[in-house]
Amino acid sequence: MKTTLLCLAAVALSASGLAQAQTAGSVVVRAGATTIMPKVESGNLTAPSLAGTQIDVKDATQVSGGVTYFFTDNLAIDVPVSLPFKHDVVGAGAIAGVGNLGTFKALPVTVMGQFYLGSATSRLRPYVGAGITYARFMKPKATAALSGLTGGTPTNPTLLTMKSAAGPTVALGLSVKLGGRWTADGVVSKTLLKTTGTLSTGQTIEATLDPLAVALSIGYAF
Amino acid sequence: MRQLKITLLALAASVLVTACGGGGSADTTPRAKITSVKVFGDSIQDSGTFGYKFTVQAPDNLIFAERVAASYGQTLCNFFTFTGATFAPNSKAGCTNFAIGGGRVTYTGPGASAANPLNIGVQMATFASIGTYAATDLVIIDGGGNDAADLVGAYLSIPRDSAASFSALLGTLLTPTQIGTALAGGSATVAAIGGTYMTALADKFYASIKTSVLDKNAPYIVVMNMPGITNTPRFQMVLDSVAAATAAGARSAGADAATAAAAGAKARADSETLFKSWIVAFNTALAAKVGNETRIALVDFYSAFNDQVGDPPQYSLTNVKTPTCPVSGVGGDGLPTYDFPTCTATALSAKPPAGVTDPNWWKSYAFSDGFHPTPYAHQLTGQLISKALALKGWL
Repeated sequence: MKTTLLCLAAVALSASGLAQAQTAGSVVVRAGATTIMPKVESGNLTAPSLAGTQIDVKDATQVSGGVTYFFTDNLAIDVPVSLPFKHDVVGAGAIAGVGNLGTFKALPVTVMGQFYLGSATSRLRPYVGAGITYARFMKPKATAALSGLTGGTPTNPTLLTMKSAAGPTVALGLSVKLGGRWTADGVVSKTLLKTTGTLSTGQTIEATLDPLAVALSIGYAF
Repeated sequence: MRQLKITLLALAASVLVTACGGGGSADTTPRAKITSVKVFGDSIQDSGTFGYKFTVQAPDNLIFAERVAASYGQTLCNFFTFTGATFAPNSKAGCTNFAIGGGRVTYTGPGASAANPLNIGVQMATFASIGTYAATDLVIIDGGGNDAADLVGAYLSIPRDSAASFSALLGTLLTPTQIGTALAGGSATVAAIGGTYMTALADKFYASIKTSVLDKNAPYIVVMNMPGITNTPRFQMVLDSVAAATAAGARSAGADAATAAAAGAKARADSETLFKSWIVAFNTALAAKVGNETRIALVDFYSAFNDQVGDPPQYSLTNVKTPTCPVSGVGGDGLPTYDFPTCTATALSAKPPAGVTDPNWWKSYAFSDGFHPTPYAHQLTGQLISKALALKGWL
């Protein structure tokens, strides 16, 4: 997916010419893909559990996009959108190596202010952004391994929920004019998020997710 | 253009709204497909050979092997039934739990013979003679705990029977020369030969597993190592009696009370260390034999049991010292006896200890009698096995 997008961007770049795409009042709509890489610091699962029972949350990639509205040639507000990301929750600490404990879907909703360097006609426009993210965690699905580790059975399986969370986001991006109204956009963002996982056994586990997200998109200015 | 912008924003918003919501669910399909669970071992895995389980009696008192089987949608029933004198196949067809309370790697009690299914090796050979392992069979094996208890008992009786029972037990696996040399060498070599015996016992246990299970192509095998039986209330009492006897001996030899108590405490600690070293010898030898055999998940029951007794709150255990079942009498060895058939969940809930009103009081205890786990402790062991299975990619 990422490779495809990079190729697309390269092809587009080679055919590029400059046009005014990011001026005051323009709306840039983009589409691409985002990979979210949580940097998990897990607490320990509450009793009863093997001491040091922890979790890790794996990376997820999803089709994404966004809308950027330029108030001025340099100031914009950006709303990234995506389909929900499907993350695997795996064992760590005392249960490292047990594999998948469950999956959940994450839908991050971010609103970000952006400051673009250069002028509306610049071909390369680095930008910085800051905003807030609300991550909606939903549709958790537990595995047989989680049930086995926590005393559940197929008829009374251990279920898992993850508490939705909000946190600040900062971003560093680069917008490249491709030609006409088209742009290529790459952005790396970091969000500070903490969540609490709760099992149907009543046990809880706290985890800092602090995901790093990398998004590559092709945009079109209206 | 403006219309398009609004449409796009509305679209983005609708994606957000429709994607929200949804509760938890579970996919309970294990990674390995298991359609039958075969069990070999002793009382801790016995599904009802004697008409009851060696824990609190209740409709939902699954023992750990049954809990593991349940993870794969399977149930267990006892293959053998006790006729009052011997063991016969259960008339109920399809039962694959061969474990029998009192089972040993080497059974030397009443009715001992090379064909007695109280020898766990005989249990394994019995299935090997009547069936074949399928690609979807899970095997769970435990053993050695009763053998270790026998060894401790025989060792402690050395002063009373001039080492007759100790020598006899050692003689089941060691040569007369080995035994004679050890007994002639004094307390250090007498203690050390216990470790030699336990190593030989582990080798024998593994040889049975190899011949009747591994070499019969069983695909998924769980082997439990030996738990620290010294952690049980029964053996804590045995150790207390070691301390008392030593202290009494010191007193009669003229020592003052404090000196005698210290001597007793030291004898107790030394004995516990020695007995644990024997169990470790068994487990070390067993682990060496299992080696890198990919079809075996070796479960470190020993460490897990130590952890549970050492840090009860971590496992939501409230009592790791007192049996939940009421004492029913005193055995020939002077230790309390318990009656499992009458130790029911209903009876326990109806009779909490003094000062306790919660009918579930016994559900957070570790021991049902002096030697066996409660259903909750079975659950904890089931979870331990589940971890081993998950590490193997089988659950």
